[in-house]
Amino acid sequence: MKIVVAIKQVPERDAQVRIDASGKWIEESDLQFAMNESDAYALEEALQLKEKHGGEVVVISAGPERTGSTIREALAKGADRGIHVDCGDLGQRDALGVARLLAAALKPESPDLVLTGLQSDDLGYGQTGVIIAELLDLPHASLVLHVEKTDAGLTVKRELEEGWFQNIELATPAVLAIQSGGNKLRYATLMGIKKAKTKEVRRVTAAELGVDGAPAAVLERITLPQKQKSTQILPGTAKESAAALVEKLKFEVRVI
Amino acid sequence: MYFLSPNLAEPQHFALWERLLFAALAATSGVLFWRRFGPIIKKILHSRKDPGFRLFPIARRVWDFVWEVLCQAKVIRERPLPGLAHALVFWGFCAFALVTLNHAAVAFGLGFLDPQGIVGRFYFFLAAAFAIACAISILGLFVRRFLVRPRWLGEKLSYGSGAVALLIFLLMVTYLGSFAVTDADPATRVLWWTHTLALLIFLPLIPYTKHLHLVLSPVTVFLSRGGFSRIPPLVGDEDFGLVAGTDLTQLVSLQAYSCVECGRCSEHCPATNTGKLLNPKEIVLGVRDYLNNLGPSSAEPLLGKYNSQEAVFQCTTCGSCEYQCPVGIEHLPILVGLRRGAVNTGTWEDEHGGKLFLALERGSNALGISASERDKFIQKQQFPIFEGTQEYCLWLGCMGGYDPKGREIVSDFARVMNYLGTSYGVLRKEKCTGDPVRRLGNDLLFQQLAEAGLEALAQNKVKKIVSICPHCVRTIQEDWKEFGTPPEIEHHSEFLAQYADRLPNQNNSNPAKPEKIVYHDPCYLGRYRDVYEEPRTIVSLAGEVVEAPRSHERSFCCGAGGGLVFLGEETGDRVSHTRAKELVATGATTVGTACPFCNTMFRDALAATGDAAPHLMDIAQLTARGLPQDGTKMNGSISA
Repeated sequence: MKIVVAIKQVPERDAQVRIDASGKWIEESDLQFAMNESDAYALEEALQLKEKHGGEVVVISAGPERTGSTIREALAKGADRGIHVDCGDLGQRDALGVARLLAAALKPESPDLVLTGLQSDDLGYGQTGVIIAELLDLPHASLVLHVEKTDAGLTVKRELEEGWFQNIELATPAVLAIQSGGNKLRYATLMGIKKAKTKEVRRVTAAELGVDGAPAAVLERITLPQKQKSTQILPGTAKESAAALVEKLKFEVRVI
Repeated sequence: MYFLSPNLAEPQHFALWERLLFAALAATSGVLFWRRFGPIIKKILHSRKDPGFRLFPIARRVWDFVWEVLCQAKVIRERPLPGLAHALVFWGFCAFALVTLNHAAVAFGLGFLDPQGIVGRFYFFLAAAFAIACAISILGLFVRRFLVRPRWLGEKLSYGSGAVALLIFLLMVTYLGSFAVTDADPATRVLWWTHTLALLIFLPLIPYTKHLHLVLSPVTVFLSRGGFSRIPPLVGDEDFGLVAGTDLTQLVSLQAYSCVECGRCSEHCPATNTGKLLNPKEIVLGVRDYLNNLGPSSAEPLLGKYNSQEAVFQCTTCGSCEYQCPVGIEHLPILVGLRRGAVNTGTWEDEHGGKLFLALERGSNALGISASERDKFIQKQQFPIFEGTQEYCLWLGCMGGYDPKGREIVSDFARVMNYLGTSYGVLRKEKCTGDPVRRLGNDLLFQQLAEAGLEALAQNKVKKIVSICPHCVRTIQEDWKEFGTPPEIEHHSEFLAQYADRLPNQNNSNPAKPEKIVYHDPCYLGRYRDVYEEPRTIVSLAGEVVEAPRSHERSFCCGAGGGLVFLGEETGDRVSHTRAKELVATGATTVGTACPFCNTMFRDALAATGDAAPHLMDIAQLTARGLPQDGTKMNGSISA
């Protein structure tokens, strides 16, 4: 089975983000970057499928120069090859623009399966995987926790709301957006890193792919979430404060 | 007096057949010895060269050799009575070297020590004194092994050792007997031959039994890496630690063959003593069995048939095995080496271990907490930020930065520094030093963390660090050296001890009944850094220092080291509970610690000992509680 995993490099989880001078993106100079979390789970799922059924795992990532380190990390964890779609303006591209880049780059691979993370930790559109499926005209499922290969194609377990799961069958090739937490992630090893040195990473540019950069949706402005502390102490006896709490939850917060 | 008056009797005029027989027997004995010893030497020499091994400076090696081999200091210090008996046997052997050469030479009429001459007479009497001591000692050791049967010598009786003990006894008795006869006496000839046969049987027994240590251990002690838990660098693209036979280095193979199976390592091992699978002696013997059966060019994994992965990952790296070993075996590089082999190739799978690695791959600290929590803590405590101008960089560490108890310790230590007027600052950002991943054998992650740490310290122009965590101190000072030059670093006990005379003595307020404080030596401060007295000086300012039965170099681990605090203990008793009971039994009302990991282990373990559990305080807290509450500085000014 040939599996392509689309991964994204995002600011590290602990990073303190600041907004840059343009007001449209974050200041990247003093940030550390890491692999997007749900993409790491997509990679893990791909590696496990390969270990079970054989085949090849190719990782693809769009982004500037620094994205190379995340591609190397994926190769170190066991991916066989990498494709780096070189583009410095990822922040300005909308999900459609990024999906077009990725779809154009991965189409010649004619994979049996394309895995993406559910959504990115930075922009969080949750659209890229869906649009790739549409552009490639392939069946798609999202919020996928587990993938099983069958004779006919795939059985996938999806996470629904309120603790429900759905098992569906798909024909291959297909595009799946993987939810975090379905597997245990493997750690990077020294041996993996050394092996990754000799693995191939092919670089392509947006121009070479013939994809234009004009976004359909333009990012106007980004802001940091407003923090406000609004702890209220509900006075009185336990009974009184409980009653006041129920009142607030019902009519102010409207959650019960 | 009859016994002492005559000289040593030597048989005269050996017949040609006697000479030929002796020569033939000696040759056979030599051949038998070499048939076993030769292949062992070959296996050691055919092992991989040790990366980073340097013979020089040689003074340390000579000193170790004199102190540990010639003086038998370690052998005696750690087990005084059997140790002294062993030393007397050893010294007896040394004294006998000349006697034995002369004994053989006599057969060919070439004896060079004249029993009538003054030198010969003196030397034979000296050897006789050693022979008496040696005979008594070997009898004692025989009784110990076969009648007293201490647990640590192993469940199976070593009959080889019994045979060797009897041969040694026979050698001594036949020598001493030669003083009671005359040259012409036929008994003299019988004694000579008995002595000879005992020697010639003894020689080939050496390489077939643990008595191989007679030949190898002096070399092992001399060639040891030195330092403590010195983990060798990985070299080239194919070195992942101890994966297979081809990874065994000459030192590891030499050490494996030197093991004398005395069980001192097991006797002090926290894992062995709490019912875990790990037994450091068995690890070393496992490597030896591997070498015997497969040799140093085998690609068969080291973990599997000969050593268990489960056991290797039960080690707390407390180092009591390495500290105890009388024959120069360095257990930690072997144990950590086997872990490196398993982790660097991805063969080790462990839920908690995997979580720890991912937390450090993706985040900044071993506890997996967001770095912003550290920022908030620094702000709340109003710690000054290190600007390159202050004297000390206060390294918080994962425990000091994120753990509630660790934060209390750091905050109290900062109060003491404020009181003393020391200038210090904390780094805006700090990553784990990599201690737990270093000990668990994840070299990729360790290198990344060490390099990031060195860069951060260099960028901030840090010249001197102080830390409350012995693990941080050790890792920065020793382990980071592989990747750069770390700044000078002090543990807070060392810092505080310098100012002992300026810190308030709390005993003054209650001199009649000082608080009894039992001090627990952290492995990474004691055995790893040789710091024993500084923390005690600080504790003695807060109360009366009480010693646990196992203290100083023999301190018993809290169970946290080697990354085990993150893995948890799945089998046996908890190491921390075993130690906590021991600390409580001293009757102290307070347990004094100097390591935030020990502290966190004892917090639960002491609570489990019952209602009357002693208080638990770090030395920084013991010091801080004696300071004026109003923020007065030592010089009388009020701190901001």
